[in-house]
Amino acid sequence: MKMRKWMMVTAVAAMATSLAACGGNNNNTNGGNAAATNAPSESTAPAENNGGENTGADTAQITPEDGASLVVWESKEERAFADAIAKEFTEKYNVPVKIEELSPTDQVTKLSQDGPSGLAADVILIPHDNLGRAASAQLLLPNDVFEQETVKNNTEASITGASYDGMLYGYPRAAETYALYYNKSIVTDVPKTFDDVLAFSKTFTDKSKNRYGIMWEVGNMYFNYPFIASNGGYIFGDNGTNKDDIGINSDGAIQGLKEYVKLKEILPINSGDINADIKRSLFNSGDVAMDINGPWELAGYKTALGDNLGLAPLPTIGGKTAISFAGFKIFGVNAYTQYPNAAKLYAEFASGKDAQLKLNELVGSIPTNLEALEDPQIKDDAYISAFAEQAKNSQPMPSIPEMGNVWSPVNAALPEIWDKGADPKTAMDKAAQQIKDLNNGASQ
Amino acid sequence: MQRHHTRAATILSTLFMGLGQIYNRQFIKGFIFLIVEALSLTYFIEKLGRAFWGIVTLGTTSQHFEKVKGIAKLVKGDHSIFILIQSLITIIFFVLFLIAWYMNIRDAYKNGAARDAGQTPGTFKQSIRYILDYKFAQTFLILPSVGILLFTVMPIIFMVMLAFTNYSAPNHMPPAKLVDWVGFETFHNLVALKSWSHTFYGVLTWTIIWAILSTVTTYFGGMLVAMLISQQGVRFKGIWRAILIVPYAIPQMISLLLMRNLFNGQFGPINQYLKFFGLGGLPWLTDPFWAKVTVIVVNMWVGIPVSMLLIMGVLTTIPRDMYEAAEVDGATNYQKFRIITLPMVLFSTAPTLIAQFAGNINNFNAIFLLTGGSPVNGDYQYAGSTDLLVTWLYKLTLDQNKYNMASAIGIIIFLIVATFSIYNYRRTKSFQEEDMIQ
Repeated sequence: MKMRKWMMVTAVAAMATSLAACGGNNNNTNGGNAAATNAPSESTAPAENNGGENTGADTAQITPEDGASLVVWESKEERAFADAIAKEFTEKYNVPVKIEELSPTDQVTKLSQDGPSGLAADVILIPHDNLGRAASAQLLLPNDVFEQETVKNNTEASITGASYDGMLYGYPRAAETYALYYNKSIVTDVPKTFDDVLAFSKTFTDKSKNRYGIMWEVGNMYFNYPFIASNGGYIFGDNGTNKDDIGINSDGAIQGLKEYVKLKEILPINSGDINADIKRSLFNSGDVAMDINGPWELAGYKTALGDNLGLAPLPTIGGKTAISFAGFKIFGVNAYTQYPNAAKLYAEFASGKDAQLKLNELVGSIPTNLEALEDPQIKDDAYISAFAEQAKNSQPMPSIPEMGNVWSPVNAALPEIWDKGADPKTAMDKAAQQIKDLNNGASQ
Repeated sequence: MQRHHTRAATILSTLFMGLGQIYNRQFIKGFIFLIVEALSLTYFIEKLGRAFWGIVTLGTTSQHFEKVKGIAKLVKGDHSIFILIQSLITIIFFVLFLIAWYMNIRDAYKNGAARDAGQTPGTFKQSIRYILDYKFAQTFLILPSVGILLFTVMPIIFMVMLAFTNYSAPNHMPPAKLVDWVGFETFHNLVALKSWSHTFYGVLTWTIIWAILSTVTTYFGGMLVAMLISQQGVRFKGIWRAILIVPYAIPQMISLLLMRNLFNGQFGPINQYLKFFGLGGLPWLTDPFWAKVTVIVVNMWVGIPVSMLLIMGVLTTIPRDMYEAAEVDGATNYQKFRIITLPMVLFSTAPTLIAQFAGNINNFNAIFLLTGGSPVNGDYQYAGSTDLLVTWLYKLTLDQNKYNMASAIGIIIFLIVATFSIYNYRRTKSFQEEDMIQ
């Protein structure tokens, strides 16, 4: 996330040096991956009890190895949580933990380089769509000791996200998806459908004043998945595991994308000119009334808008409930760790119920732990519960390694449709063909 | 019996390093050689077989998990890439050993011949003296040479080798999967397989166009500015220079990311100003053509100061009397520029110009920070419309883990840069000694 910080600095500098309104530029080449920045975590009983007591009857009880010490890769944004939980872990198990900052989206790449040489962290934190890449390269130890606890205590979707090829690898600690932020002082009736959005925006949008009813990253597949999925489209068939069944050009997807095309009327900007930083500054200043975005913006938006900030599930698309992408942040244990027991204990400890609530408190995140979700701390938070509501209508991003072949073709097709008015069917057929080529060896 | 000592010493040294020297009564030297061979043999007996096996097979067992009491334990297999590096190092050491062995035979031969001619071979002290007096430089260059071999040559060989493997995600990523030799398949895919070749030729063409345009624009832009500032009658020269050098002095990390915001088609100040004056803005960074124009323009902004400083320096070295003589002959300003200034400047800066050209082929910053390769191009494989070969390589390596393809592109970039550089160096008059300016 270093890049993002730089871009924010740049954005501020740019605004200072020019009279015109101007935001930062955050061109996200890797698609939705980068969207995964904040998330809550969940945990199970080990937070309170000794790790050994919590393991299932048929698995061995584990205790940390003698002289164990751990290195954990954490995201910069969640450092406050990481420091706190590491301290608690050390107090409980007498195992020193060193936190190193590394963007979650970079962790699998770094693990694949440094893991086998023994230089990588013992516990890593990754967005679940990177799991397939790590697990198929056998870089992670399966979550076996705590499997039963993890499965029992977490939402089904998060377990799907933390599994690869029928095996549970991850320790889910937070969910994330996106929902509709709105400015209460401008939007009085929360739109229920995208037709409502269209109607409202026609009264508000004024391109010459840079005022828009709604804005979202129209070129990024991550945020536009609802248009593909809500009417029956999908990325990979069989719940995202069949690489040969590509559904981005299915009838349902095209139907949804026709709704997407209609929205160009109220957001007549090239996709490349919209980015997270610009959107943020416009939304904060009241020039954008609605924004489709994730929990990672919550803290900043709250500061900027105060009580005027509203959050609702996404409007329906073509009469169907909007289905968003769900991402999960999960802990993984490095297969080359010297201290597998200590590492597993840490992953379990730092993703338990109490840990997830702490993460929510310190950073703001959506738990995956079932008990944590019922906790008043989450239930009474209007924003978090709105995300949790949307999360119910979300699908986990496919985590098979071929997912890496999807982002660039689709992120190229969406601008074709949006900027140049290409026919959705033609553009998506082309993207689907490219994904097929990539899956089948053009890239081997 | 004439050549008796020569032959015996040579044969003995061939059999075992140092024996020939001992036979020649150079005991200390002989023992040193003996020890060298003994140590080397113990090293190679253990390693050499595995090194050759490794470099041929790149490993045969892949790693897997085994359940022990319900807990998965990692059973390590062969990591093809580590095996490749280790084998490579062993083989490099083996080549060094062969060189030492050859030198040992030659030494035995020479001293044997000296004995046959009736001379006494030198003592150890004399040998040392000889080295210190006559071979000092060569001897002490051995150390840096070994360093260069291990830290420069070895990685290059390693990279070249990768291009001939299938080391790429997702199907051939160690440690889970083994890597194999595939010969020229990667290169073949790059130039012949449509999905790759389309991107490759597109990116290559743009890279060349970019290198030429960016070099020419910054060079002549810099020359223009330099000549304007050094005109007689221009005041505050120091201030002009200082202002113009600022874009170069700001880290590109900051300035290019800032530019990226300035050029935003909807919210950027540049288009806002254009609109204020009643002009429609341009899609600076979102249209493939205009994005290319933008990177070249911004690169001028960054690159002109460098050329300006350089050329200003050269201008001060041109003797004033040449201009005075030209004026006496009635030359116009343009003639003075064409006949005196341009050739003088070109002559002095030609090497820099070539370096700049080669540098621009690999100008990572300008593209990566300004556009990140965007706008996206649906026809390209992991590349955008403004991606250069080098930024494409970066994406293939870090985002996609296609290491074999990235290595192949790396080799191609190297060939291009090397060809241009060598060709230009050879044709540049500055490298052909005196009498360059007519």
